[in-house]
Amino acid sequence: MKLTTSPTPPRRHRPWAVVLSPLAAALLAACTGIIGSEDDAPNGPDVPPSTPTDFNCDPNAVPDALPLRRLSDTQYRNTLRDLVAYALPAESTAVMAEIEFQTAQLVADVAANDGGDQRYAKFSRLDQTVQQSHIDTGYYAAEAVGAALTNDPARIATAIGDCATDADPGNDDTCLDDFVRRFGERVLRRPITDEDVTFYREPAGSAPFEAADYADVIALLLNAPHFRYFVEHGQGGFDDDAVAPLEAYELASRLSYHFWQTMPDDALFAAARSGELLSEDGYQAQVERIFNDPRTTASLETFFGQWLQNSTLEPLDSRVGSPAFDTMRGTFTPTPTLREEMWQEVVDSATYYTEQGGSFEDFFRSDRSFAKTPELASIYGVEPWTSGEPPAMDDPARAGLITRAAYLATGSANTRPVMKGVFLRRAILCDPIPPPPPEAENVEIELPEDASTREYVDALTGGGSCGSCHTPLINPLGFATENFDALGRKRDVQVLIDPATGDVIGEAELDTEVVPLVDTTDPRTAADAVELTEQILESPKPYACFTRQYFRYTFGRLEDLDRDACVLADVKRSLDEGASLSEVLRTVALSDGFKQRSFDTP
Amino acid sequence: MKNAKLNRRLFLRGAAGFTLALPVLPSLLEDEAEAAPTGVRRFVAFGTPHGGVWPQNMYPTDPQGPETMTYGGHQIRRSDLPMVANNGRNIISPVLSAASDVLTEQIRSKLNLVRGLDVTFYLAHHRGGHLGNYAENDGNGMDGQALTQHRPTIDQIMAWSDNFYPNLSTILERSLVIGRPGMSANWSNPGSQSGVVQNITPESNSLVLFNRIFVPDDDPMETRPPIVDRVIDDYHRLRQGNRRLSAEYRRRLDDHLDRLDELQRKLNVAVSCGDIPVPTVSSNEVQNQANPAFHLNASAQAQYWSLLNDVIVAAFICDTSRIASVLAGTYHSDYDGDWHQEIAHQSELPTWPFPNTPLPDNGGPSPQAYTVQHHQRFFEDVFLDLVGKLDAVPDGDGTLLDRTLVQWTQECGSRTHDPIELPIVTAGSGDEYFRTGQYVDYRNLNSPAHNANGDNAVDSHTGLVYNQWLGTVCTAMGLDKNEYESGQYGGYGELILSSEGWYAGQGKYPSAVLDVMGEELPYLKS
Repeated sequence: MKLTTSPTPPRRHRPWAVVLSPLAAALLAACTGIIGSEDDAPNGPDVPPSTPTDFNCDPNAVPDALPLRRLSDTQYRNTLRDLVAYALPAESTAVMAEIEFQTAQLVADVAANDGGDQRYAKFSRLDQTVQQSHIDTGYYAAEAVGAALTNDPARIATAIGDCATDADPGNDDTCLDDFVRRFGERVLRRPITDEDVTFYREPAGSAPFEAADYADVIALLLNAPHFRYFVEHGQGGFDDDAVAPLEAYELASRLSYHFWQTMPDDALFAAARSGELLSEDGYQAQVERIFNDPRTTASLETFFGQWLQNSTLEPLDSRVGSPAFDTMRGTFTPTPTLREEMWQEVVDSATYYTEQGGSFEDFFRSDRSFAKTPELASIYGVEPWTSGEPPAMDDPARAGLITRAAYLATGSANTRPVMKGVFLRRAILCDPIPPPPPEAENVEIELPEDASTREYVDALTGGGSCGSCHTPLINPLGFATENFDALGRKRDVQVLIDPATGDVIGEAELDTEVVPLVDTTDPRTAADAVELTEQILESPKPYACFTRQYFRYTFGRLEDLDRDACVLADVKRSLDEGASLSEVLRTVALSDGFKQRSFDTP
Repeated sequence: MKNAKLNRRLFLRGAAGFTLALPVLPSLLEDEAEAAPTGVRRFVAFGTPHGGVWPQNMYPTDPQGPETMTYGGHQIRRSDLPMVANNGRNIISPVLSAASDVLTEQIRSKLNLVRGLDVTFYLAHHRGGHLGNYAENDGNGMDGQALTQHRPTIDQIMAWSDNFYPNLSTILERSLVIGRPGMSANWSNPGSQSGVVQNITPESNSLVLFNRIFVPDDDPMETRPPIVDRVIDDYHRLRQGNRRLSAEYRRRLDDHLDRLDELQRKLNVAVSCGDIPVPTVSSNEVQNQANPAFHLNASAQAQYWSLLNDVIVAAFICDTSRIASVLAGTYHSDYDGDWHQEIAHQSELPTWPFPNTPLPDNGGPSPQAYTVQHHQRFFEDVFLDLVGKLDAVPDGDGTLLDRTLVQWTQECGSRTHDPIELPIVTAGSGDEYFRTGQYVDYRNLNSPAHNANGDNAVDSHTGLVYNQWLGTVCTAMGLDKNEYESGQYGGYGELILSSEGWYAGQGKYPSAVLDVMGEELPYLKS
């Protein structure tokens, strides 16, 4: 399948740093320093830091010494599944069903941002808490796996080896030792030493062994620190250095858990075992192989899904039956799954362009519909996408990502320009927005009956301390898409509806022209979402923001803009050069920061 | 450990379809007759978001026979908690009202309603403030952003206190953390009170929770020793090995080892919950299968919380846990919209603030009316559901409720975003510590905070400090002050005085108020 969108034009950076309109200056006066270059920011304790768009790599900078990362809930479950499949290939589904009670008790990670945004771009990998319930449920799950893999002689013969059930008791010790070496390498993701064999087989006692003996050995392995955590010692010979390159097995785990969310496969273990993974060619070959494996798609879907999820989108069917919503929706009746379909469409668009060699810009301004259901496709006026080339939306107002239904729909009868603006400002541009002023609530306004939502929101938030952020930073980004209704459908006018009766009481003209101030020094107007999209793509911000979000997902922590600048710069450079998304996403694994571990705390 | 018994009333409420989980419990009725040990205290904390209930909707009007005294430099008041009957309902206030067979005179006599406790600084959009971790907020205002140091919440201090749990031989879960994240936090290494303070991930699936506190009868064939000691050895092997580890690695391994010690303790717990069958319906199923949609389905919401309450009651009966903290995220009202923006942020206004505007989909009388509806339903369907169930379980000379302190706090006071006059509703005497059946008012009526005017229907006053309540609860639950107090003043929780000039509480907490923070709050002790 070939990508049919036009080639990505070279990205332009407009030199408007010296141009500042009186309007923009006035708007910024109350909100200076929030966005833009650091040079623009006045000094003062209340001024939030500017959004960085360049990452200056200092090769001598040492990343912070990091806590021992644990497997995420997803990674833990996937690894259990794959270990069971390794031990009992033909019965893995049955075994997983048998331990469903224990796996149901496992603790789901809480999507977090570690002090970052409270609402958007939260990643479950950033939940690195270790709580009692993690230890307890993991212990019981390990016991259950051990029991399930050994609960009849046939399973023991398959999992441990025929030698464990044959008539010769004399080979039982060797049989168990071999199992610990073979299974243990997968579980612990490192070479198994003689000391390890002695340690992990201890619960079994001496031969002959019962099923419970084998079960205990398996459970002990599945409780090991090397199983539950990413234990990284780094290569020997660097003990006096603040940073050490990772060992081959450690590197294999980083690759597989980042791209696959699970343990290395046979080929990756083999590359680690042989040391091939430590050679530049060998490493690059594995990165290519891993990235092109279908399992990578699921991990990238998680990244895009968590980064781009519009968490403020309410269920779209719950207001069916309320007068205003019924009038707004007309004959279109949203189903309970529509919200998830909208979210999934965004993810599908991202993975499509990743797989097809598209760039970040291709993804961001795509005019294709990835709606797989007739319900969502009807919002765009296209046929559902089944396979092959996605249908074009054939509507010039559809500007790409920011006009996908997931960011236009609200679940109510009304659009929400403020929430649309906050999402773009926070999740796409990574601009901080100060919290609402305390007096933001309880604003009474008077407006004519035919006021549009834009006029209403302007009146409600445009004055006082609210206005200092809403007017320049938030509202314009939402107003630009007001030519779409609260289900994401194109509209020419806003139909005004009596909330109590659902009666149409008039129409309001739409105005999508804004001064979006994507960069604070950019005074240009944008006529609509199409022009806004272009202004966003001409700014360095979305690329820097993407870089930071991907760093968080990759490393399970917030970035340090100085000490992690080399990794950030590598990914950002790739974006700046117009590389395909797949290249960009691979870049992180090729960066030195991915292949090393810091032990130093300055 | 023997189980407390259930009485017939509890069974009948379950049989009437009030909850699907209750049929689980009556099995205790037949074969267990001995009450839980006297002197065992239990603690349940409910927290709800937003608040913003006007005083006239939260508190009784004109209580009879108030007693007064001077305390903290100003006059404070108490009276018996008044209640009137009207059309089959008993009413303390519009929010504190319920069907007369739910809010009975006996239950009323075991409630307290506390008014006039404040956080001394601007604290909005928080989850941790209910139990003393004020830093768990969204960073609103200079005050909110100044708080960056998270601290354990009092439920967790209790959970790891030898004074609260002098004997852990039956305890499987030191605390149950239910609902939304953020209300409960503790050290990553609670045994040594070290590491980092982290939120405890809550669980809202009643079946999962049940399995944490329920112990099936021992399998007589199961005599194999657990391997946990060997797991501990494995972590020591890594911790003490000769491979390179950063200090952060070692800290994390120490945290894990502390948790393994706790697991080892739990594996040796000897307890029997009798023949309680495992519930067949979970709160998650009720939520997911609700029709109409859960957020507009009062019946399903009540059932959801009833199932979770049943787990708490079961844990108390089995004595496998004595603490539960619950941060609710459900809105118990008919309003179908953006509660946060359209109700909570507008709750002070006397009328719907957006005439002829398209925001509210379904109109409605006023944001405050929905606020009252939500809080009243929570009181009746959630709070009183648990209280009634606890009071139906005999325990010694009284009931489980008598050995328990159940508290319900709201994120804000009578104005959203504003921690002045934080309402506290309690039930139970906490094992005879609390004098109950009272309406206690700590406000300083000479210290106005907000004045009602055209845009604001709320009059409020500053009073005593909420930290003092938290300290009083810790004391009531048997903790020594050296287990929870820190800093210049007493009570629990960080104390900063607002630096925000607009804040209604700025400069209104004199030394006379601060100096008594380490004392047990007056009127409350029995």
